[in-house]
Amino acid sequence: MIVLNCPYCGQDRHEEELTYGGEAEIIRPLEPEEASDELWTEYLYFRTNPKGTHHEQWCCSGGCGQWFKVARDTVSHDILEVVTFDKRLSA
Amino acid sequence: MSGYRLKSGGRIDRSKPLNFTFDGRAMQGFAGDTLSSAILANGVGTIGRSFKYHRPRGIYAAGIEDPNAMLEVVDGHGREPGLRAGQVHLVEGLQARSVTGWPSPQFDLVSAATRLMSPFMTAGFYYKTLKWPNWSWYEEAVRKAAGFGAPDGTVDGRQREYRHASCDVLVIGAGPAGLAAVSSLKGSGRDVVLVDHASSAGGALRWEAAQIDGSEGMIWADKVVADCQADGGQVLLNTFVTGAYEGNYFTLIESLVDHRGLKAERIWKLRAREIIMATGAVDRPLVYQNNDRPGTFLSTSVRQFISEYGVAPGKRLAIFTNNDSGYLTALQAAAAGMATPVVIDTRSAPSAAHVEAAREKGIEVFVQSQVADVVGGRGLRAVRVVDQAGKIRTVSCDAIALTGGATPMIHLAAHRGAKPIYDEASASFVCATLPKGWHGAGAATGSRELADVLAQGHAAGQAIVATVNSAPVANVALGMGDVVPMWQAKTGSAKKMFVDLQNDVKASDVQLAAQENYISAEHLKRYSTLGMGTDQGRTSNINGLAIMAAATGREVAKVGTTTFRPPYTATRMGAIAHHRQNDGFAPRRRMPAHSDHASNGAQFEDFGWQRPDWYTKNGSDREAAVGIEMTAVRTGVGVFDASPLGKVEVVGPDARVFINKFYVSNLATLKPGRIRYSVMCHDDGIIFDDGVVACVDDNFFLAGPTSGNAETVGAWFERWRQTEWPDMAVAIAPVTSNWAAIALAGPKARDLLARLSPDFDISGEGFAHMHFREGTIGGVPARAARVSFTGELQYEIAVPARYGQALMQAALSEGADLGAVPVGMEAWLRLRLEKGYLHLGADTNGRTTPLDIGMGGVVMKKAADFIGKRALSLPYNASEGREELVGLKPVDAPIKIGGRILADGYAQIPCPSIGNVTSACDSPLAGNIAMALIEGGSKRMGEKVKIYAEGKITEAEVCSPVFVDPQNERLHA
Repeated sequence: MIVLNCPYCGQDRHEEELTYGGEAEIIRPLEPEEASDELWTEYLYFRTNPKGTHHEQWCCSGGCGQWFKVARDTVSHDILEVVTFDKRLSA
Repeated sequence: MSGYRLKSGGRIDRSKPLNFTFDGRAMQGFAGDTLSSAILANGVGTIGRSFKYHRPRGIYAAGIEDPNAMLEVVDGHGREPGLRAGQVHLVEGLQARSVTGWPSPQFDLVSAATRLMSPFMTAGFYYKTLKWPNWSWYEEAVRKAAGFGAPDGTVDGRQREYRHASCDVLVIGAGPAGLAAVSSLKGSGRDVVLVDHASSAGGALRWEAAQIDGSEGMIWADKVVADCQADGGQVLLNTFVTGAYEGNYFTLIESLVDHRGLKAERIWKLRAREIIMATGAVDRPLVYQNNDRPGTFLSTSVRQFISEYGVAPGKRLAIFTNNDSGYLTALQAAAAGMATPVVIDTRSAPSAAHVEAAREKGIEVFVQSQVADVVGGRGLRAVRVVDQAGKIRTVSCDAIALTGGATPMIHLAAHRGAKPIYDEASASFVCATLPKGWHGAGAATGSRELADVLAQGHAAGQAIVATVNSAPVANVALGMGDVVPMWQAKTGSAKKMFVDLQNDVKASDVQLAAQENYISAEHLKRYSTLGMGTDQGRTSNINGLAIMAAATGREVAKVGTTTFRPPYTATRMGAIAHHRQNDGFAPRRRMPAHSDHASNGAQFEDFGWQRPDWYTKNGSDREAAVGIEMTAVRTGVGVFDASPLGKVEVVGPDARVFINKFYVSNLATLKPGRIRYSVMCHDDGIIFDDGVVACVDDNFFLAGPTSGNAETVGAWFERWRQTEWPDMAVAIAPVTSNWAAIALAGPKARDLLARLSPDFDISGEGFAHMHFREGTIGGVPARAARVSFTGELQYEIAVPARYGQALMQAALSEGADLGAVPVGMEAWLRLRLEKGYLHLGADTNGRTTPLDIGMGGVVMKKAADFIGKRALSLPYNASEGREELVGLKPVDAPIKIGGRILADGYAQIPCPSIGNVTSACDSPLAGNIAMALIEGGSKRMGEKVKIYAEGKITEAEVCSPVFVDPQNERLHA
């Protein structure tokens, strides 16, 4: 059971109040038509799936509705960092 | 064996006798009894038969650690097929039955047969023997002979609820350690939850003789609990902590018992900042020949039976021990007035004080002695005691109490991954490191003496927050002493020494596993079934591991333990799932005009909303009603409740640029008051929704996703707005349930709309197909769209939800003379199939792109990027021969939905398939029609294909999916 403190509304939110959105900091190429098939496939499908620190997108869906970013340890489930979506994770 | 009720003593209420039955025999107990203590007090010896060998077994322990006492229990609220007798509160009228042994546990036929077989039923017996020709040949018979009762298929009357909570400190266990922690936190302002599985706090103080802070132990305990409650703390009794999870999140099951039995259960989902693990320990039995006979008990349980319940487990007790605590049992038995017991101590130099105290009471003590065997089958009559010199004496007794040390209850920490390590001092597995925020205290950490237990509990509390409270002081005459391990008796046959009583695993099975190289703890468990029972090996694991250690010449520490997993003890499925039955399974969403649908005989189906499938008002059976509803739409007018249809407002200066990024059609040119149909993709190019988009004005677009995706699409827009285009000046408002909507469809739809008093022009020219109007209808605000899912002249009118019912009533009453009828989902979906309009999720699947449904031209015309566009030119999506949506007409027999299309050149299955039928129905206008996704479908017009469905192969012709009005004359009427 994961609990995250939403960086927008400041509330502790339990897993049931949150929506997971996959890996964070996936860049959608700005010029899709210029992107090679390989680059676009990479963007669409390839994820890191690390054992350890994982950058994730979460939404405070049962609360303020904002998406934010989380660095989580996939082994210990420790939450290392939570930032608003406009920031980059440093953990 | 002959247990009986002592004349005095115990915490039971002797003024409240309770009648109950066991295996049909009338018995009596008292308020405060458990089913175990009550059965024992009535002199019952054999309560069941063992799992594999059908040996007679009796009550063995007072709590959930009892591997034998699984009984069927019927109380005033329901029946349970298998409960541990020690956790059942006795109530008036309770009926308990053995669930093992046939025809009765006293006279068991299977036992006679298995006695002959037992030499062959060793570890791995099932794997080695019952595999020819396969397990299913044996399964039924084996399951009948084994198992612990069966559900009878009825729903019990118990209530259940979930509760979510959080606290600063969760104290698990209200024994002396937990209570010392609670008393240490007194006045700290910390929000404390104290949990114990028993019906009163105190833990071992309920039966041990001890003084704390100058008062009798239980008086101290009651005071700590009262102080805790006065401090705002919550005390949950009759409550098991069943699991510990990440983030210090716990599941608890609280039993609420009334005079008729278990009335209700409450599942707590509790999160705590700090945890005191004061979960205690249970006695470990000793392993010797025939150590499973009825009349065999754990030593601490005997003290509990005597002092908590006033029950003597037998007339004369023998105590077999390797530590000082056995003497406490002997002294309690003597003090209770039982015949003078005898102590058999494995040690050479027991504590002089204990021996002295025992001998003072006339208790005979055999040192450096072991039990070699017992006399008596269904009831113990004597034990054979062997001393160091090998001399055997027979000592008569009808009950034996065992203590081989204690096994700390470390399960919850282990659920969190804390690793158990072997502690030589206590000869037990303890957790050296606990999860973050956890503090161990008491017997759960291997401590044995009350003074240590209290000091640890106090220290745990102080570690959370320093207070002025001082540590409780213990005054105990005689302690528990150190344990000198004795893992297996030196005399006797290992084939009759039981390690795991629930699963009938013997010392010889563990040794066989070692011989066959199943030497790791995890392999041993699965090969021999050691510790796999519902008692989770509480009494058996450590002995088994130690015997494995001896058999492989290793230290116990090197063998390690198996992994504990939730739940901590057997949990009723009802507690977890009961409230998710029937209406509790999921909320029913009802449309504003629900009661009008019901009074028209709507046959509701759950589409996320309760929607009418068809109306009995229109016909007595489904086909007849659906036919009438379809005909009304084609010839007169039908009224369809479209309220669940998605409505998402996209508002702001960037609304047009924003929404144009989602749909595959070009919305850059959509003029105010106009509507366009389109589909939406994920970025991988796969269609995930379709619907119409209205341009209300340049800053305001109204998207109409499908009912099923109404919430999803709003959330999808919002996610992209936040994460990809945060600078766009646009706001998203999902307003689906704010508006009720009805659709009027059919050649007379305009006449009907006119009667509903719109304040805007509804003429064919003034309000043409794919136009949108805002205004009022019958004086209430309305949004009207002229769109069509049926191929007929059709209006969809949305009004604020509170007017939805009135609008439905008005449409049906004003349209009565026009032949207006309510139309259900089935007719609606068949009407759209006649027109070849796709039904998202039926005619599309997880691979379908806009190109596959004939929207390639639309996509090509759109220059701007949209979500999914780039993926459409990836090689796989752009390849030839993809499944494309086409129509089908039958050649020889009606087409079945779900039928597989046979690959070219095949007339029979098995063969490759090139697609499947996605929709099919009988149409009053077009006969049997269907749509299908077929590889290269658009290039197959006129081809015949073979379809396999329901065991038959039929033939159909590929055609355009538009079966009715291909010129759209009706649509534009």
